[in-house]
Amino acid sequence: MAAGRPRVGAALGAALLARLGLVLYGLRQDGAMRVRYTDVDYRVFTDAARLVTEGRSPYRRATYRYTPLLAWLLTPNVYLAEVFGKLLFVAGDLAAAVVAYRALRRRGAAAGQACGCCAAAWLFNPLPMAVSSRGNAEALVALLVLATLYFVEGGSVGKAAACYGLAVHMKIYPLTYALPIALHLRSERCGGEGAVDTGCDRKGKFAFVGYLWQLFVKMLNRDVLLFGAVAGSVLAALTVAFYHLYGWEFLEHAYLYHLTRRDIRHNFSPYFYMLYLTAESKWSFALGLAAFLPQLLLLLVPLLLLLLMGLPERTLDQFIPCHVWGYDGPAPSSACHLQTQCDCALVSEEIQARLKTAAVLERLEVSSHLGSWQLSLVLREQVRSPARDIKVCC
Amino acid sequence: MPQAYVQAACQDATVTQELLKEGFHRDLLVKVELGVVGEDAGGCAVAARTHLPPGIYVDPYELASLQQHNLTKAVLIPDVINVEAPEYLATDLLVLLYMEPDPGCSRCFRAALPVHGRYHQPAEESEEALVVLKSPEVLVCCCDNRLSAECWKPTEVEAPCSGKNVSPCQWYSITHKPAYEELILQVPVGLRQHSSLVCVVTLLATVLCSSLILAA
Repeated sequence: MAAGRPRVGAALGAALLARLGLVLYGLRQDGAMRVRYTDVDYRVFTDAARLVTEGRSPYRRATYRYTPLLAWLLTPNVYLAEVFGKLLFVAGDLAAAVVAYRALRRRGAAAGQACGCCAAAWLFNPLPMAVSSRGNAEALVALLVLATLYFVEGGSVGKAAACYGLAVHMKIYPLTYALPIALHLRSERCGGEGAVDTGCDRKGKFAFVGYLWQLFVKMLNRDVLLFGAVAGSVLAALTVAFYHLYGWEFLEHAYLYHLTRRDIRHNFSPYFYMLYLTAESKWSFALGLAAFLPQLLLLLVPLLLLLLMGLPERTLDQFIPCHVWGYDGPAPSSACHLQTQCDCALVSEEIQARLKTAAVLERLEVSSHLGSWQLSLVLREQVRSPARDIKVCC
Repeated sequence: MPQAYVQAACQDATVTQELLKEGFHRDLLVKVELGVVGEDAGGCAVAARTHLPPGIYVDPYELASLQQHNLTKAVLIPDVINVEAPEYLATDLLVLLYMEPDPGCSRCFRAALPVHGRYHQPAEESEEALVVLKSPEVLVCCCDNRLSAECWKPTEVEAPCSGKNVSPCQWYSITHKPAYEELILQVPVGLRQHSSLVCVVTLLATVLCSSLILAA
């Protein structure tokens, strides 16, 4: 729509000015006041970039726990000006908004609505503004995740997988989006891929393991396999290349640290005081695991429910009687034959909306639990649908 | 009599230290007044050597950036410091802080060093742990041997002592140590007896919140 373009342009322009203003203010505050505006991590990035320009490993810098790509990207901080990194993150921020806008438009949202949504949630939201102008690299990961979603929706599985592999390399937690993306890719190809019509017979109980195997096999269609292969190779290539360059230090600081750390100093975490008090006791490992459990449950339980409910009933029928589905048919055999017409578009729209909100919220890090909540809502949508209108994605 | 006079003269130097700001991140301000002892030490570089216990540390990167801006000059021994370790896993630190002349009084020198407290282990009873900072030692680096031997003795210091002269330079410390006061930094710590309550409440809260989310 012609009217949409200038508005988007205006919004982007205003957002850019606001962010540049904050960057300039940050430079002033750093120089004049005791409390610095710039994030401590930005100093760490710059120091690591300086080490890289001297040909050394960025991991010589204490507390540098990121990918070497970031140090490489920020080498102009050393050659040009220290503010280059912040400008790069601001650009990434705006690019993320553009991708989100285009994804919304592709889904069919009106230009004004899409623009308003992006403006309110991201462009003029003070939190992303502050995060990027302070020198935090989150905007780049947000851009990569949104690009993955955009490409997945558009059907370019290869590009999506490349973006996804890069995103996981930069931060580990986009790994949690693998299952929802795989499910979406699976549901895109409706039409009974690999369906075996055995009718609604109750004879023979599948072993649960055999059932899960069938579930797994049904998950894998061509798109999912392509996605997995490309993302896996991108991630593997980057890991191998950097391991070759920087050795064990790279693996330890970029990946392992994040998986095993029990940080007793991050005061904003709800687990801080508990971990601090039990740091040297014999319970500390068990408590560390217990802390991880709620998040794991939040991701797995809805997925499990979705997987259980989302399959053609003829397989499930061995375990769940038909009346649970909310359909009172005349006789078991015909009642079990659910309407399997794929209303994939309807379901996938909901998924996309929630996934995007989840991705955006997750990037803000402060609301990472909200992000998980959105994600679980995605999956609960699927669970609820049998109650209203039995539409199952094949 | 002359002996007492010499001793009294040599004990003329005073060293004071104070911690500015509040909380975990402080500035250690060291002031030295050399008095009579400093008569011969004109033109020498003055430094304070202080031994920091494991409960407190100096961030080497912060120090490097301050040195770049010519605000502070110091040497850390060892120069590799674990900035994230809690107090019980950390080691001592020796700091050689170079001092600048203080315009406030004659033969006065001062320097400031940013220091940070480490997290200490939770305690049984008191809510604060004490970090004791001993008084620093005054050192001078002189390149011509004008210093009186009664007041100054040569010392080994693991930092370079250099001057513009060709003659060899040497570190000296005061023979009669002046009376000193310890400086105490109070660091808040948790109480160990809270641990069961805190664990139960934290885990319950997170489980409750996850259930609320799942039920939504």
